[in-house]
Amino acid sequence: MDVLKPQASIQERWSDALAHRFHINRFQLSKLLFVYLSLLPILALFAFLRLVPITSSFQLSFFQSNLINPANKFIGLDNFQELLQDKLFILAIRNTTLFAIAGVLFSILIALGLAVLLAKRSRLGGLYETIYFLPVITPWVAVSVIWKWIYDPSYGLLNYILSWFGIKPIGWLIDPNIALIAVIILAVWKSIGYNMIILLVGIRDIPEVYYEAAQLDGANGWGLFRYITLPLLRPILLFVAIVSTINAYNVFTPVYIMTTGSQGAQGNAVRTLVFDIYENAFRYFKWGYASAEAVSLFLIVLLLTIIQFRLGRSSESV
Amino acid sequence: MLYQMSRNTFLQRFALLILALGLGMVILACAGQPLAPQAPTAPTAQPPAAQATSAPAATSATSSNQPVKLTIWSGYPEMEPWYKEVTDAYTKEHPNVTFEILTFPLRDYEQKLSATIPSDTAADIIEVSSFVAKFVDAGLIPPAPDKIAEWNNAPGRYDAAIVKDLTYNGKQYAVPLFYGSTALYYNKKDFADAGLTKPPETFDELMDDAQKLTQRDASGNITVAGHGFRLFGAGSGVAEKFLFYLWPAGGDIIVPVGDKWKEGYNNDAGRWALKYYIDALYKYKVDDPKLKRDAEGFELGQSATFFRESWVIGDIKKNAPTLDYSTAPVPKGPKRWGHIIAGEDLFVTRTAKNPDVAWDFILFAVQPQYMQDLLRNVGWLPSRHDVDYGPVLKDNPQFAGFVFSDPNYQAYMTPAIPVFDEVETKMAERLIQLYTDASLLDNPDGIAKAVADMAAETNSILDKAGVLAK
Repeated sequence: MDVLKPQASIQERWSDALAHRFHINRFQLSKLLFVYLSLLPILALFAFLRLVPITSSFQLSFFQSNLINPANKFIGLDNFQELLQDKLFILAIRNTTLFAIAGVLFSILIALGLAVLLAKRSRLGGLYETIYFLPVITPWVAVSVIWKWIYDPSYGLLNYILSWFGIKPIGWLIDPNIALIAVIILAVWKSIGYNMIILLVGIRDIPEVYYEAAQLDGANGWGLFRYITLPLLRPILLFVAIVSTINAYNVFTPVYIMTTGSQGAQGNAVRTLVFDIYENAFRYFKWGYASAEAVSLFLIVLLLTIIQFRLGRSSESV
Repeated sequence: MLYQMSRNTFLQRFALLILALGLGMVILACAGQPLAPQAPTAPTAQPPAAQATSAPAATSATSSNQPVKLTIWSGYPEMEPWYKEVTDAYTKEHPNVTFEILTFPLRDYEQKLSATIPSDTAADIIEVSSFVAKFVDAGLIPPAPDKIAEWNNAPGRYDAAIVKDLTYNGKQYAVPLFYGSTALYYNKKDFADAGLTKPPETFDELMDDAQKLTQRDASGNITVAGHGFRLFGAGSGVAEKFLFYLWPAGGDIIVPVGDKWKEGYNNDAGRWALKYYIDALYKYKVDDPKLKRDAEGFELGQSATFFRESWVIGDIKKNAPTLDYSTAPVPKGPKRWGHIIAGEDLFVTRTAKNPDVAWDFILFAVQPQYMQDLLRNVGWLPSRHDVDYGPVLKDNPQFAGFVFSDPNYQAYMTPAIPVFDEVETKMAERLIQLYTDASLLDNPDGIAKAVADMAAETNSILDKAGVLAK
């Protein structure tokens, strides 16, 4: 024993204990501590802006809470029971699910096609990528206002173009059977660019050697796509599908803009979950009820995400 | 490769980082708005925001040099020039008082009020209808000072119904500014082309005239609607316009029973009104949903007649100044004859740091010359009756339908109860779907069921709000 070694300070003893606990040395511990403590301010901000409101929503869903009357009454699951009997809520789930299925399917298919076409680098490839990505960066409000005009039955651009082919004016937002399709078209148009870029990166990341080997074995274009591109792109496709589904279930802005005003679409024809939550919260001031709806939306999206993950993993194992 | 450092160096640098971030957040907090809205205070037995009800300060900010800034919000963008005119004039007399005016589309304005009034972040002065009832009910809007009530109650100054609309539990909360009243707009050229010499006087005549006024192209598509109905759009507007047909038939959206309410249209009146729409769309085909609606449709010449408030007159001056049109009173219905009125009043919120200045400005704004300008330049009907509007009406004969007077021509209003907006909005959503249902044509049972289902929902909403008469 070295009697001249100075006694360790409290901080040093704590550091030693922690380092021993996590099987790392003191230097690695100090690096980790620095990282986590540096992240603390932004995590605190995230907690304040995200976690606290989300937790409050969960809590409010069990109360009869009104925006303008702060007296909250605990009512347990009454809000959720009322939701199950609310025809507008059921309609909103139906519309949102149709929107999500059609929107995600078409946006991924079209984006995949474009990504495959753009995968081979060409002189104007960058220009095409930029053009397809422009709708993604355009604000939703601006895009919705313009498309509302495009869809106008009397003066809209779409009906004007269709008239060249002798097609009669279509009430894109007026006809309850078509209104949701019109919103889906807008959503697909806006999201194609984002999905395309991600899939393009995924395709370009596939080593050329696989394609060369397959071509040596006699594989043609479709074979290369089906047996090389698609399987290796599966993790990216899963990511794109999950993100697109979450975004689709959260659709609000185009629905709100398209239904505004006396020329607007019929509300119930395009009623989606977030729109219904917004109406219950900020039109009827039923905060507890709207919070229950928001919790239901969260659970639905969580379930879909889990299902997609499971499907994605089971496909990989096969 | 990660940078290596000693513990002391790490602690020193981390402390500096925290200090820098903390300083940054303090600077941001001092410069910006509060991160979270303040929680509203619970209603108490005493009126809240006592400063609004106390007597004006002995030295008002208007007579001192203290700079005062007042914010004004309105749900009608066409009002902005008028507010600009009035606030400029007030600032000329009181240079220390400046204003910020913000106007919004009505539905967005209502959402904004819903979020800002409870959190005390609303403007000092808000122009709003009985939509404010739910906030008054919750004690979030302070009553007006006694001098305002004295002003409002002066004989002949305001219609009793208008003053009653801003009175809650015996207290008055605002000064009336303007009101919406309905009349029938008609295109004089279309009438002349159809051989019609006068506007319809009954709803039956309106339907007959609409058939003559409807114009079609070679393919049979309607190019001009004989009568433009409000068939869709978000919010409660569709139900509000349905009431234009329902009330003359003897019905109402909700009717009082003691101090409670119940639906007022699951009857012959409701069935007649819905049948009127269905017949117009599918039997007589006097309107096409693909045509433009509302004021825009009338200004574009896509409808020959429609019901709306007087603001359209100012809109037509701006957008279709050569349109040859006039207005007529609402036709007589099977049971009643009358028009809806809805007041827009000026309230001072509890956000106002200088409520006495705000009320002073409001009384300044309702002076006769500004009421005449409101009528002349905007088109909304000023609530003040004790002003000579003769010169304005002489220059603008289109106001004929709005200034029509007859002992049998009644005025009616929608009730100022908090839950009415939900009743009307949910009713509007059902009506929009019913208007697209061609199977209701010549189907009295179908119409009766549709009206009954709609009425059941109305009663359910009233029941959940605890105001259903049983």
